[in-house]
Parts: sequence; C-alpha cells; structure tokens
Amino acid sequence: MKKPIIIDCDPGLDDAIALFMILNNKNFDIRAVTPVSGNQTIDKTSINALKLVSFAGSNVPVACGASKPLYKELVTAAHVHGESGLGNVVLPDPKIGFSELNAYDMIYQEAVKHNNELEIVALGPLTNIALTLLKYPDVKDKIQRITLMGGSSGCGNDTPAAEFNIVADSDAAKIVFESGIPITMVGLDATHKALVLDEEINEIFSYKNKVSELAANILSNALIFCKAHGFEGAVMHDPLAMACIIDPEVMISKDYHVDIETKGTFTNGKTVVDVYHVTGKEPNAKVGIDIDRNKFMNILKEAMMNYEL
Amino acid sequence: MSRKRSVIMDCDPGHDDAIALLMAFACDTIDVKLVTTVGGNQTLDKTLNNALRILSFAGIDVEVAAGAAKPLNRELIVAPEVHGESGLEGPILPSPTLKPSDRNAISAMWDVIKKCDDKVTIIPTGPLTNVATLILAHPEVKPMIERISLMGGSCIGGNWTPAAEFNILVDPEAASIVFNSGIPITMCGLDVTHKAQIYNEEIELVRNVGGKVAKMVAELLDYFALFHKKFGFEGSPMHDPCAVAYIIDPSIFTTKACHVDIETQGEFSTGATVADLNDVLKKEKNVDVALDINREAFIQLLLKSMKFYPMA
Repeated sequence: MKKPIIIDCDPGLDDAIALFMILNNKNFDIRAVTPVSGNQTIDKTSINALKLVSFAGSNVPVACGASKPLYKELVTAAHVHGESGLGNVVLPDPKIGFSELNAYDMIYQEAVKHNNELEIVALGPLTNIALTLLKYPDVKDKIQRITLMGGSSGCGNDTPAAEFNIVADSDAAKIVFESGIPITMVGLDATHKALVLDEEINEIFSYKNKVSELAANILSNALIFCKAHGFEGAVMHDPLAMACIIDPEVMISKDYHVDIETKGTFTNGKTVVDVYHVTGKEPNAKVGIDIDRNKFMNILKEAMMNYEL
Repeated sequence: MSRKRSVIMDCDPGHDDAIALLMAFACDTIDVKLVTTVGGNQTLDKTLNNALRILSFAGIDVEVAAGAAKPLNRELIVAPEVHGESGLEGPILPSPTLKPSDRNAISAMWDVIKKCDDKVTIIPTGPLTNVATLILAHPEVKPMIERISLMGGSCIGGNWTPAAEFNILVDPEAASIVFNSGIPITMCGLDVTHKAQIYNEEIELVRNVGGKVAKMVAELLDYFALFHKKFGFEGSPMHDPCAVAYIIDPSIFTTKACHVDIETQGEFSTGATVADLNDVLKKEKNVDVALDINREAFIQLLLKSMKFYPMA
C-alpha cells in the first residue's frame, strides 16, 4: 500500500527540491500540498507550490494555509529565497488550480480518511499544523508522524538561538511539539551535513530532463548563497526532511524531550533539547544528529534521474 | 623572571572548586591575592567553611572573604545532589585554622584590585553574583581587570535545565552584567569541561602522588565520580579546574571569540548562554568561548599541581 502523506511547505528554493524528490515517487500517495507563509508571503508560496506541482507533472491538490503566524507578524526570508520566493527561477503558469479546501480542513479530512496512517512532512513554519490542531483537537490521534524541518540543539541560523522555521512561528511550534503526535525533528544539527557539492550539481544537470535542469539551477543558486556563509556545498534543509520520509535510515537520530521557548529575550524560537536528560520528561521527538550523506545523495539523484525528458 | 599574574579566586566549594583552588595556589606563575566565596553549590556558610577547610588543610595562608549569600534577584538554588550536604562530601577534613576576613568579598576585591600594581585576573567558579556586585558598586573597576576566566554556560545543552548550566542558571542577572561589562572574558562552559574528564585510573595517579593533599583530592574525585557515573559519564568533568587551567596554560585550549548573550526571561531557557558561534548577529565579540581542550595535557597539569604540596 502506498503511504499517504501531506506536504506542508513554503516554497522556497529548498522546498522546491524537496517537492521534486517526492512528486514522482511511486511509494507515496501524496494527498495534498499545503502551502504556508514563511520563506515568502502566502500569495507567493502558494503560487510557487502550484507551479512546482504542475511543472513536475503532478496534479496533487494544493490547499492554501495561513497568511501569517498565529500571533506574531510574518517575517519572510527574502534575503535567502528572493522576492518571488524562488530566486531567479521562472516557472510556467500552472495547469492546475488551487483546491477549494483550505490547508486545515484538507489536513483534517485526510487524517480522518487515513486514520493514523497519514504522515505529514512540514518544511516551513508550523502554523498550518498548529491551526489544524486548534480547530480539530482530535486530529492529534489521527496523524502517524510529523517529520519537520526546523530547530537546532545548538546554535540557530536566524538568531544565535533559533532556526528560521521555528522562530518564524514559535507559538505554533510549541503547540505541535506539545501535541503528542510523534515528531521527527530534522534540524540544523543534521541539515548542515546535507550538502550538495559542485560536481553533484553538475551530475544532476546532466540528467537532461526539465526537472533535473531546474533543480540544478536552484542548487547552483543555493550554492552561491551557502558558500558565502562558509559552507562547502548547498545546504539542503528541506530535502533532508523529505529524504527522511523516503528512507528513515538517511538520518541518525536520538529520542529527546524538546520544549519550544516562546518567551525569551534572546532565545525565542529555540528548540530546547534535553540532551543531558536533566528534566526526566518523556522524549517527544526523534532529533536528527547526523546523516548518511551517501544515502541522501542517492535518494536525491534517483528522484531527479527518473523524471521524463 | 616575569612577574606573577595577580588573581582573585571567586568560588563556591564544591569538589571541583576545591581542586581549582589547589591548582591555582600550586602554580608558580600565579599570585592568588584573595579568595572570595559565594552561595551556589551550597549555601554561603558552607561554601565559606569549605574554602577555609581546604586552604587550612593544604597549609595555605590567604585572605578569605565571604560574599553574596543569594543571587541578585532570585532565590538561591544549591546542588546537594552533586556535592552532598556539606558541599564537600568525601574526605574527612578537620575544622579550619584559617579565619574568615573581617571584610566582605566586594570590599576586599575592590581594595585588592585598587592596591595592585598591575591588572587583576578574576577566576569565578561559582555563580557570578560577587563579580556582578563588584561591577555594579564600582564600575570604574572594569579597566582594572585583566580578564575573567569563568566556569559557566554551554553552547549545546545545559546540565541543570536543558538550556542552562548551573552557575549561570543560579544567577542569570549577574551573568548578564558580567558578560555585558566589556571586560575580556573566557567562558569555560560544558562544551569544554565535558571534554576535560578525569578517569578512574587517573584518580589513582593523583592518589599515588603521595602526601595528604593529593590523597584528599583523590577522595574528592572518588565522591565526584559517583554522581557522574549515575548520569552516564565515563569520567568526571573537571568543570572549575578548566577556568584555572586556562589562566595557567591557554595553549591547551581551543577557543572561539563570539558574541554571547545571557537569557534571563525565558520560559525554558533562562540561564542559557546564547553564543553566536555562526556570527548571525554581527555583534561585538565579548567572549572567548572555550570549545576544546588537550585532555592529556590538562591531566598532566593537575598531577603537576598535586606535586607542589608537601609529601609528609
């Protein structure tokens, strides 16, 4: 049986690669893509999601979600993802339209339909999932797992303490982490090791299909930004989260209790990971600490290779 | 011969504080002018008595002045789980022959620093309440301090809460004052102290140095190891001795200059030393954060320190 999943995202350059990794995967029944505001405003992330789905030859429903975080104001990452949210990438107009459902109703409907079989991959701020939990509290017993890109047990990338997706809506993250739904946290501890190098980008380009060429273009853009920040390759945050759902063995993780700081002057949005087990609280997340980079690259390459010319 | 470095030890003994003190007094490049005590690992009456007992036992004559009994703005947290009811469980130590100073820690610190020909180095191995009070009461002291080499904080994970290390957690407001003071700071936090572990066979090397001081230190280490074994450590982290070792021989440490803020308002992360290791804020670098240590060289330094004390 194909695994039913929903992809919650805010495309986003690395979101785009992550979507391309799964949209042609025969082992998954992608029930919906639910865009959220984050890397860019909701009008941009939602149209980007629609164009990416359509470009990859898929007709998965795209159900739009929150235009701003639960309580605070939206702060985008335009400095990373550009004004459009997809850098200088230009995509053709989509051949499909948006779903009539909003993200929360879509997530709830699919969770009920696939009682405790549905998994969610969350690649942006957790606003849509938190709102689903607020609107439909019983959904917490109907979702098998949330694999999310976000957080860090050490330093952050948006502030010294916090990673972008979590700090963007720390109140939503708190609701999700406290929900009891099993969580896999794909944070900076792991994603900073998910690097795609120059020659690997060239290889992906050489597959010569339109998706791989576009992916290589996005990776090249990301590479320039990442090299300017001292990384030797393009850091693929969201694709690692996607790789985790395709093959959980791609990431080495440990079970920890994670609290979300929402009040700190300097630590708002910090995923407070109990690495020394001092609270005695039950673990609520599998926290990624390392990756099998070869496995990650193989998943990425295989997906890119298998699009039609 | 180069001049000895003038040092004030500010501590809350505490097993590892006791060893830090003994290492400082054993070092021939350090002149410890004053020992001050603070409430932390145990209450102030106990930490003061422990400092006096250790120094008396080792035959050291120095001014010992009691400082703050509680944090600037919070109630005191103590650590009997780690250090026992006395704060120094393990060896049997006689009552002290040294008497506490008539002056309080802050007056003594200020007076010692004013009278010193050169800048003074402060090595705090407890909560930063005394040092913060000194800075608040005498702001002009700042340029007169060479460096503060402190044990406290952590870049990844805390030991008292998931986000905070004990010394910083006990008095985060004091830590904030010290970290924002502009005084050069070396932070020996869990990132380095958890790499400065002493293993059982090395405790035997300490015991085998001979003499009553080395034997007593080995007994402190025996007790300290019991707690850390329970938490899955292979050895015992030598937290406070790191802050002294950095002043004795910085070359055995790997440090990184970065901006560090102290969280005082968090729900889950009060007391976190928020270290901007990736420089995302581009703020002024106020702290040299110790990240690694040459462990073997550190253990050799500890053994060498023990040999300073009389064998009889």
